Amino acid sequence: MGALNYENSSDPGTLSFEVGNERTLVRILTPTDIIERNQIIDTLLHLSSLRREGTQPYIAAPRLLGATLDSQILRSSGIGLLLYDDRRIEETIKPGPIQHTIRINQASPSFNTNTTLIAELAALRLTCAELEKNMSHMRSEFKSFRESVMSSTTISRDSNPVRTFEPLQRPETTFQTNVLGEHALPSFFTNNPWLDVLSKRGHTEGTPLAG
Amino acid sequence: MDFGTSDFKFGPITCGENPRIVNNRGYFPDKKSLVYRAFEPAADVIVGDEVPLYLQSNEDLTSRLVYPMKNGLIDKDDDKAWKVVSALSQFGLDSFHVTANNAFQGYNIVASLSAVSPRYMYERLLELFKQMNHSGNVRAVTVIPQPFAVAIGHGVTTCVVIESGHGNSQICPISKYPIGSAQVALNRGGGDANAITAEILKDSGYGDLAGEESLVRRVKESIGLIPDDLDAAISEAKRAPRKFHAKHKVPGTRVEIDLEQNSWTRFLIGEYVFNPNHEIFESYFNRGMPRPRDVKMGETTFRGMLDFGDAIVASVEKCPVELQPMLYHEILLSGGNFSWKVSESMEGVAVNAPTKIKSLLRAKGIRNVSVKMTTSPQFSVWHGCIIYGFAVPEDYGWDWQRLEGWLRIGA
Repeated sequence: MGALNYENSSDPGTLSFEVGNERTLVRILTPTDIIERNQIIDTLLHLSSLRREGTQPYIAAPRLLGATLDSQILRSSGIGLLLYDDRRIEETIKPGPIQHTIRINQASPSFNTNTTLIAELAALRLTCAELEKNMSHMRSEFKSFRESVMSSTTISRDSNPVRTFEPLQRPETTFQTNVLGEHALPSFFTNNPWLDVLSKRGHTEGTPLAG
Repeated sequence: MDFGTSDFKFGPITCGENPRIVNNRGYFPDKKSLVYRAFEPAADVIVGDEVPLYLQSNEDLTSRLVYPMKNGLIDKDDDKAWKVVSALSQFGLDSFHVTANNAFQGYNIVASLSAVSPRYMYERLLELFKQMNHSGNVRAVTVIPQPFAVAIGHGVTTCVVIESGHGNSQICPISKYPIGSAQVALNRGGGDANAITAEILKDSGYGDLAGEESLVRRVKESIGLIPDDLDAAISEAKRAPRKFHAKHKVPGTRVEIDLEQNSWTRFLIGEYVFNPNHEIFESYFNRGMPRPRDVKMGETTFRGMLDFGDAIVASVEKCPVELQPMLYHEILLSGGNFSWKVSESMEGVAVNAPTKIKSLLRAKGIRNVSVKMTTSPQFSVWHGCIIYGFAVPEDYGWDWQRLEGWLRIGA
């Protein structure tokens, strides 16, 4: 076969062959093992543990034992099955990388999830940094705006018609129609002589005719 | 805030040309009723846009629905009416709520009342605003007479304002101030035109409809005419009955009112408002229509039978002589009772309100007069309030003698 046979010193019941880069592990069951159910399970578990060491694990069992073994379990574990009797040895189930593939597939969702979470965390960190930057900018703008309002109150009040109700806006003796600008006032303010008359109330007026 | 007889108009200068309007009325829900006890408690008085939601056909609306300014006056002890005024004022204030901040320190409120409002109405209204300032949104308040506000809104500083509403009319000369001592009040308004319309309907065989107030008002507005000269108009209407045929179809019904050969009576409707002294009205008085009487309300005597011409002359002649020509030169008519339609085909016989006033004054020998309708009859009082509030300096404190100035309420 061109294979190299190695005796596994740590596990005397296991044969090990190397063909090129591939390594084949064969665990042999004897007819007496049929009686001991735990022995079969133990063998399967043991091969599974050796799966990391070899790429092609086999279980070799007497042909009589073949009917009692569940081929599906072996396939899902990627363990091959060799049945033998006095005349021949037959490869019933080929070992495969199924189990290895399954493991990778089972591991991938959590891997993907972790990757997504890390990406989201990074994005959040960026957003947070951006918000902090904006907030700092707004604070400085608000500060400068407040300073400008404090230093020039008259100009800022002129822009809001509602603020004409404030006492500081009221003219002392004469009414200034340009406080808000003509365009900002309703039409009934236009050329209304009462604006001048009423603005002098309490100041430079004569005795009213009212009784 | 304009407390009109039927509408309450309110809003700050930021409303622009027109204020917000709600009916000047309040509804007092039956708080003993199971419905109100079962559900969340209703306010003592409902005002504003929600009133129609509370109206129920099986309830006695005459006692629960209160129009506080029906005649421009509220009795001192009419607690229900004052509650409505208070609720409306609060409603007006809450409708334009502004969160207190360094820039906004409260509204300066200008309220407008009828020119014949007695002093206790000023006192009560100012007290109401003091009490409702729990939100801190009122900085100062003042009350001005409606004719004064009309003059301000119209932009005329020397004039006579005639305000005619449903129940009464007021003639108020103004020369930078309202000349209170020269005011003349008439116990006549749109309601009296309704009364004569109902009599005309009875005479024309529509007695069954004469009791429906809203229908009578619509008929008045549809067929009523102001004659330039009543005798001439009646002659003309009888000579050309088809031209002056008075017919009114009530929309959405089978009811059609046709005065037929009595169509000339449509001139009586307008004439009665301006001058009820024509002998033709005596027949109506004799048959039971109440004659407009002189009544004293508050401190004012409302004259019943004084025609508008005599009322204007009486008012103006209480003013200094040198002022009188200027007053005659600017007569402003305000209020729904002066809105009369004139068909082109009837021009010369039927006239509008300003022409009728001129005609009445001409009969008294006063010729160089100018009579105008206010440009915005519905909102001119509110316009005046806005200008007054805008222009009067805040350090002009309230003066009980002048009934003017700002009463400071807020800090």
